[in-house]
Amino acid sequence: METTHAPAEDFRRALIAADPRLSKFNPLPRILAFDEFNTGTHGWTELIGNHDGYGNLDTVDKHMRDFRPPQLSACDFFDIGTHGAMSGTYALKVATRPVTGHTGVAIRRLTMAQRGVIQFETYFTYKSEAATAESSLGNTFGDVAWDGNLHPSEAQFGAFTIATDLCDGDGIRYHCVMRYQNTDLDNKLTRRWVYPVVPEPTPKENLHNQDNLSPVEDFTAPNPEDWQPLDQEPQYLCYNEVPTKVNWHYLRWQFDTRTRTNIELQVNDRVMDLRDVPVPQYADKYEGLENLLNFYVSVRTHSPVRNFLFLDSALISVDW
Amino acid sequence: MKQSMTAVLERNTTFTADFTTEPYEVAWAREARWFVRTLELDGEAPSLHLTTQISPDGLHWCDDGAPEQVSGEPSLLSWPVREFGHWLRLRATLRGGDPKAKVLIYLALKS
Repeated sequence: METTHAPAEDFRRALIAADPRLSKFNPLPRILAFDEFNTGTHGWTELIGNHDGYGNLDTVDKHMRDFRPPQLSACDFFDIGTHGAMSGTYALKVATRPVTGHTGVAIRRLTMAQRGVIQFETYFTYKSEAATAESSLGNTFGDVAWDGNLHPSEAQFGAFTIATDLCDGDGIRYHCVMRYQNTDLDNKLTRRWVYPVVPEPTPKENLHNQDNLSPVEDFTAPNPEDWQPLDQEPQYLCYNEVPTKVNWHYLRWQFDTRTRTNIELQVNDRVMDLRDVPVPQYADKYEGLENLLNFYVSVRTHSPVRNFLFLDSALISVDW
Repeated sequence: MKQSMTAVLERNTTFTADFTTEPYEVAWAREARWFVRTLELDGEAPSLHLTTQISPDGLHWCDDGAPEQVSGEPSLLSWPVREFGHWLRLRATLRGGDPKAKVLIYLALKS
């Protein structure tokens, strides 16, 4: 998005630059939410599928009933104790079970007062759970063999996803979604940004399909072939060798709810043009989701090892 | 204002064998309370025995020393936990003949 540099804009930027908490972000003119997880979860909560009119949780889609409650984590590890976060002691941690294909999801629910450019920024990191003598899968996993520097833990991390659930006043519902695929389903390092080409299946679509659902279904887009790579360029992030070192990464993602399109994704020193990334819409119009503006982050393990996505802080801003 | 959070660690899950809940980080909390809803308990004289466990690292666990709680019928059980360090989980054992328990497990936390 082009920014203007009128005096008021220069003054706004100077104020942001002078604020140690905000100056690590690049917000659009209006800040909707500024979530430092050192001060609580700020409305990020577990996603769950829908239940029936009796409050019977057995009616929740079987692949959407165990996305795990997010945790306020001090980033504690067995080797060094408390690592701590970037802005304080605590980060938001989304964790999977140690079950291949399991997904953890945290969601934040808002609505749109207007349509326009929306930006999600966060400082994040991702880790696999440290091994014990009992839980270890050995010194080699996927492509990675421990050599003193490289650590098999890195190949035990599957993917993390940043995503939205959007529905405007016209009843058109769609998702902007980007996923960092660290490994493929064979645990080989791919380190690609991918996106889905189908909309997420809804509870209504799955209402009479429960017998065909797996608890570890990829709920965002179940068929692996429906995930397309943004390009063939891997992005190397700072896993930092072992599962107990936490290095925070900057992520900035923009999309436009006026045009229902992606704009761009920045992750540290790489800026990706997303304007050609399709945003699938549902065929039918929706009622009851007017101006829905949901953000979710998810983490998906491709190994029988717990995977974690940590957010130090997040900032949601708009051009309204 | 103090912080608070309720986490649902198991949701209508049916167990037929002993289990532990997933590790949960609670370093920020001063007090904690378990709520265990036993929705169904089947088998021959079945009972569900629940013990709080603590951990220095989320990997290695020991009992916290408090008496175990026992559910012998569909019910809501609750008990407090204090001075628990940075991690909490529940260790559950099922007793009786072919026991089967369906549970909801909540962990309510306050700073």
